[in-house]
Amino acid sequence: MDIINGFTSTLGSLAGGFGTAVQPFNLLLLTIGCFLGLVIGVLPGLGGTSGVAILLPITVFIANTGPSGATSAVIFLCGIYWGALFGGVITSILFNIPGEPWSVVLLFDGFPLAKKLGKPALALTSSFFASFIGAFIATVLFTFFARALADVALAFGPAELFAVFIMSFATLIGLGSESPAKSVMMIGFGLLLAAVGFDTLTGAPRLTFGHIEILSGIGFVPVTIGLFGMGEILASAEEQGIGFVERLSAKVGLKDIVETLGELRKRIWTVVVTAVLGFWFGVLPGHGATAGSFLGYGLARQYSKNKANFGKGEITGIMAPQAAADASAVGSLVPMVALGVPGSPTSAVIMAGLFIWGLQPGPLLFIDHPDFVWGLTASIYLGHLITFLMCLLAVPLLAKIMHVPYAIITPFIVIISIIGSYSLNNSMFDVFITITFGFIGYWLRKMKYPLAPLVVAIVLGDSTERELRKALIASGGSPLIFVASPLAATLMILAVILLLLPIIRNLRERRKPTATDAAA
Amino acid sequence: MILIAAVAMFDSRASALPDLSGRFPGGLGPGFYPFWSAALIAGAAVVVMYRWFVTVDTGEGVFAKREAWTAPLKIAVPMIVAVAIIQWIGFYFVTGLYMGFFARFIGRYRWFWVVLIAVLFPALIYFSFEKGFRVFLPKSKLYEQGFPL
Repeated sequence: MDIINGFTSTLGSLAGGFGTAVQPFNLLLLTIGCFLGLVIGVLPGLGGTSGVAILLPITVFIANTGPSGATSAVIFLCGIYWGALFGGVITSILFNIPGEPWSVVLLFDGFPLAKKLGKPALALTSSFFASFIGAFIATVLFTFFARALADVALAFGPAELFAVFIMSFATLIGLGSESPAKSVMMIGFGLLLAAVGFDTLTGAPRLTFGHIEILSGIGFVPVTIGLFGMGEILASAEEQGIGFVERLSAKVGLKDIVETLGELRKRIWTVVVTAVLGFWFGVLPGHGATAGSFLGYGLARQYSKNKANFGKGEITGIMAPQAAADASAVGSLVPMVALGVPGSPTSAVIMAGLFIWGLQPGPLLFIDHPDFVWGLTASIYLGHLITFLMCLLAVPLLAKIMHVPYAIITPFIVIISIIGSYSLNNSMFDVFITITFGFIGYWLRKMKYPLAPLVVAIVLGDSTERELRKALIASGGSPLIFVASPLAATLMILAVILLLLPIIRNLRERRKPTATDAAA
Repeated sequence: MILIAAVAMFDSRASALPDLSGRFPGGLGPGFYPFWSAALIAGAAVVVMYRWFVTVDTGEGVFAKREAWTAPLKIAVPMIVAVAIIQWIGFYFVTGLYMGFFARFIGRYRWFWVVLIAVLFPALIYFSFEKGFRVFLPKSKLYEQGFPL
């Protein structure tokens, strides 16, 4: 009976939230926010976090003069976040340049599907549909379980998180289509790059060799822009020749949407499961859409029947990480609202907004300002719907970018990549990093080294080390902490099994009778 | 890769092993993580090298054809030059020159279009990034003397 009462009460509150969110002024703010977010997402380097931060001062004015005060302000800020989540995929899929950190993972299959398989519209619509479904599932979970989940998330300690990261790396080695030794080498390289700069615990500089520019570390965005954006330009110059112009059909009609829906139907459970897991990962404090997207990709590959197609334009490789990324982003609002602990960098900026508007995030927010919480919840549903429709209508325009002549699009990509790298820290050093990794990326492609493990390791390297050391501090230096809890132990065992897979595969292949053996 | 791993291992050798004497919280010093990441590279590199030695290579060399290195070089050289001169002439002039160079020498466009592209793109970037999003991009040496770009 309590469950039914709780359910009815939640629905009633949500209806009240929709009443606030659909007020013309709030709806207008949400639409503007989503559009700005979309533009910010498309521009490399100008991420959702910086977009939200740049526009934070405007919300003070909105909060003071808007009809719903702080609710109007948070609706606007969150609109930017949702728009950026969708927008980031566009450059990843069409240019092989990540528009946002969480769209890095789309470089693996989004770009190959758009360019090599000649289906840019399918690649884009697949990601938009997956984003929308992922976000919708996450928002339903947010609506009904926000408070309860926030409490559980606090029990997910460093040992468990470290085990999750180890399993992500093990997946890349055990289930990758490339040589496991090369994958290990790339993971090591990524972890090493992530370790450059100040050690966050002791403050000691590492691998800086006296250069102050790298004391704050090597950012993964300049590295990925170089590896994929610049590297692709150099590789295509060789493979297709200078002056090559795409002649792909990028017209989007009802047929494309129907095709996407057909593909989605085949993968609906993968999308649903990765969305739920992505949401859960977002709830864990300190992680956001980026880590969620890599987790989604790893899981989808692990359980896919078409493992060999991953990295070559597999639609699951687009849908799963995109659903997980959007779900993680929604999930990252849970600890922010319910506990006052930001779940991701972007939610940290939004939380700063809450303080500016005179609100105290935490459990009391649900009691003291229910109109704010439910207005925000309703705006998550509406924001994703608006962005989804915007994206779908803009697909023909976006896909036509691929028809722009080589002599214009190539230097433009280089220029946008430079802006993306520079604008992160206003540093030319980041631009040099991008150029350097452009050449490294080209070389690695030539030598058939997988780039995905390298990028995953750079992105997750810092968090992996942090959780490892936090766990060891908690256990007084005993590594037994990684098998002390049933969850951590299970994850670790799974990781070991995945690592052993290539060896088992190798042994099996050796035991298979050859044609000569059979003849004998 | 082996060289990178060797340099990293040498640089972080001081605290490569766990130390439970209480010097570092949790027993891990700042060098532990980079040292073992580098060791991972070195170990994997040995395996890759071994496989390279024992596998019969039937394909042709990576840069066997002339186009394999001349085509990327045609893209790489202007890119390096553009990045190198940003600090002197500023981002916007570099964008104009770089876009114009490609339009003229790769696209073989007429001068009218070259000039239009060289002006239009930096202007577009200026108004969207500098004015719209307040992202300030590198300026020329003349900026300090009052020149706007």
